[in-house]
Amino acid sequence: MSEKIPSTGIFLCRCGTNIAGFVDLDEISAWAKKLPSVAFVETHNLLCSPDGKKFVEETVAKGKAQTVVVAACSPKMHEKTFRDSAGKSGMNMARVHMANIREQCGWVTKDKTQATQKAKALITGALDRVAFHEDLEPRSMECLTDIAIIGGGIAGIEAALTAASAGRKVTIFERDISLGGAVIRTEEIAPNMECAPCLLAPRLAAIRENKNITVVTNAEVTDVLGFSGNFTVKARKKPRYVKDNCIGCEACFEVCPVSVPSSFHLGMGNRKAVYTAFPGSVPAAAVIDRENCKHFTDGSCNACVAACPFQSIDFEDTGGDIEFKAGAVIIATGSDTLDPSGIGRLGYGKIDNVVTLSEFERMASSNGPYGGEVRLKNGKTPSSIAVIHCVGSLCAEEGVSYCSGICCMTAAKVGDLARKSNPQAQVRHIHDRLVFDGPQMQAFHAKQVAKGSVFLRSTDLRSVKVSGKGGAISVSGSGFETVSADMVVLVTAIVPAKQASRLAELLNVDLDSAGFYKPDHPILHATGASIDGIYAAGSCASPATAAVSITRAQAAAGDALARLVPGRKIDLEVMTTFIDEELCAGCKLCISVCPYKAVTFDPVKKISMVNEAICRGCGTCAATCASGAATARHFTNEQIYAEIGGVLHE
Amino acid sequence: MNNFEPKIVAFVCNWCSYAGADKAGGQKLTYPANVKLVRVMCSGRVDPQFAMEAFREGADGVMVLGCHPGDCHYRNGNHKAYRRFRLFEEMLSQFGIDPKRFMLDWVAAGEGKKFQEVTTTMTERVRALGPLSLPGQVVREAA
Repeated sequence: MSEKIPSTGIFLCRCGTNIAGFVDLDEISAWAKKLPSVAFVETHNLLCSPDGKKFVEETVAKGKAQTVVVAACSPKMHEKTFRDSAGKSGMNMARVHMANIREQCGWVTKDKTQATQKAKALITGALDRVAFHEDLEPRSMECLTDIAIIGGGIAGIEAALTAASAGRKVTIFERDISLGGAVIRTEEIAPNMECAPCLLAPRLAAIRENKNITVVTNAEVTDVLGFSGNFTVKARKKPRYVKDNCIGCEACFEVCPVSVPSSFHLGMGNRKAVYTAFPGSVPAAAVIDRENCKHFTDGSCNACVAACPFQSIDFEDTGGDIEFKAGAVIIATGSDTLDPSGIGRLGYGKIDNVVTLSEFERMASSNGPYGGEVRLKNGKTPSSIAVIHCVGSLCAEEGVSYCSGICCMTAAKVGDLARKSNPQAQVRHIHDRLVFDGPQMQAFHAKQVAKGSVFLRSTDLRSVKVSGKGGAISVSGSGFETVSADMVVLVTAIVPAKQASRLAELLNVDLDSAGFYKPDHPILHATGASIDGIYAAGSCASPATAAVSITRAQAAAGDALARLVPGRKIDLEVMTTFIDEELCAGCKLCISVCPYKAVTFDPVKKISMVNEAICRGCGTCAATCASGAATARHFTNEQIYAEIGGVLHE
Repeated sequence: MNNFEPKIVAFVCNWCSYAGADKAGGQKLTYPANVKLVRVMCSGRVDPQFAMEAFREGADGVMVLGCHPGDCHYRNGNHKAYRRFRLFEEMLSQFGIDPKRFMLDWVAAGEGKKFQEVTTTMTERVRALGPLSLPGQVVREAA
């Protein structure tokens, strides 16, 4: 080795008697002073005390050593302390290293002689390692402080309002023609049966009035480029054929000759070819359904143009491309419910008046297809309803293997909603496991029972069969007496939204085994997605009630706001890995092992590169690299080899 | 060889096994001084070359201790360690090294007791195997 080995100063800490009592520090001091690379050896009673810290600072200031080894407690206790003290005298943090002669030596070795010998080995390892240390510079990065939100349901709405109230610009990208998501289709929210439209309307108004929020509906996100702090979200707006000045007065609805089933009403009830999602939608503007509109299909109609008082109809609309730069992206795309058509024994799609819980609630909603009346196919209100729980849940063959968690509570609304249309309606729940967790939910269940809803336990929900014809249905199964009903409500499993996998692929984020967005950490960072700067809020992360979705949205927005502060740079990991362009063979093995997708491939140079803005310093790529091109800062091969040699040869 | 004291190097990850070793210290759970720890941020950082280097420098036994599967601070670095070192164990005998001289295990931050157990077990296991002698091993003058 022709390089001059930097001279190292050693601090030995007695730690009162906590080290001095277990290791012979006098012997170590005498031994260390003879070592060629050692500039000085100082022993102190308690280095982490104010006096000790000052001592380190002043000793380093004397300039006798270029690096320092502190033989004391665990670096997890005081590495930062001593780096700060030495730093005050201008020593770079990387030049301060610790030898753990307390927790990993003195305290765990019975014999003091053996402990002393081991301490020498650990100190030798530290000395040999520190010779190869290079300065570490704190790194930070400029970041954008605006926030992009994908999904305009309740989670997207609340995240937007939180971020916008902190003064940030927000763009919500929504695939549907209006904000509102699933909650806008409900009537009341369990357990207190709050009116859902009443809760949502002021929030929608707040979005409309907030100048910081841009709402892009009828749009699909086509690409998300960049990384944490510096994203570019691209979206394609589909043509609306109605200008933004439309106020949703519905004059055109009256004259439109085309009537088709309404997806907002889940196929029950119709809408015209020119329509809004619901009264009070955001945006208020209507949309023309090109596939069914007679102007497009056979050129025969312009009725809406004539009827519109504001000249809002625009058949020439071609949509457009949108780009929005943001520091964070919040995914709030919600979830779906399982289609029970595949479960033959329940008769969905075959027997009249077998409906899903979503369809039932849509009917029961005051803005529903029948003005809030629950109706059988023959127009009458049902007098006897059987509610079958766990449809597709807890059964991998029929749906998903997990319990969807929130549906018992949602199903328990059926009693109240049914009795609104018909106070004498009999409601019977057929269930196995029941989930009403916590005092409020339990009280809700008890209330339904008190009001007359009956809960019947089946010993095997897979045995439940729906037979008969609409109006005279039999529900049979093991463990309960056969129930006669004129309507059956199926409580279907909550599943990931159909679009989830497409968006996940676009964003390069991970999904869990059920298809929901996988969190950065299930306990410590549950609203973070698997990539820095991207969040998953609401039920796209797992089945969630409105309350939980809103909490997650506020948490995600809060986290993003805390991280992206105007005027403040983001601190980055210091001990990242970098790849030497000359040595990289372009094998891409590093890319395949990085847990954070922090390594990308440059197709022009044909080499891999680490994005040091998102690298978290685990070093897995460095261990994988066969060319020695990937170097893990502060944990380089050289440094570790030196330490290995040192601990084995004191 | 009655006086044989095996030399063991253990690679420990900052978040779990290193902390587990500290925990053993806090609980004053003693284990043989034969075991010297080398800290890495993640067991995924441990290149099998490090283990070979340890044997070359005179270690009679080598350990890699990481977070329990599912608990890795860096998501799945320990999975990579597992894959690498399962293959490594298969290769060791081809190098003339008894695979029992290598141990891969998982020690959580709170598992002071487990840390004590694995290090003690390993030391006794390697003691029974005797010193490792390989051509090309580094021999240094004692300081």
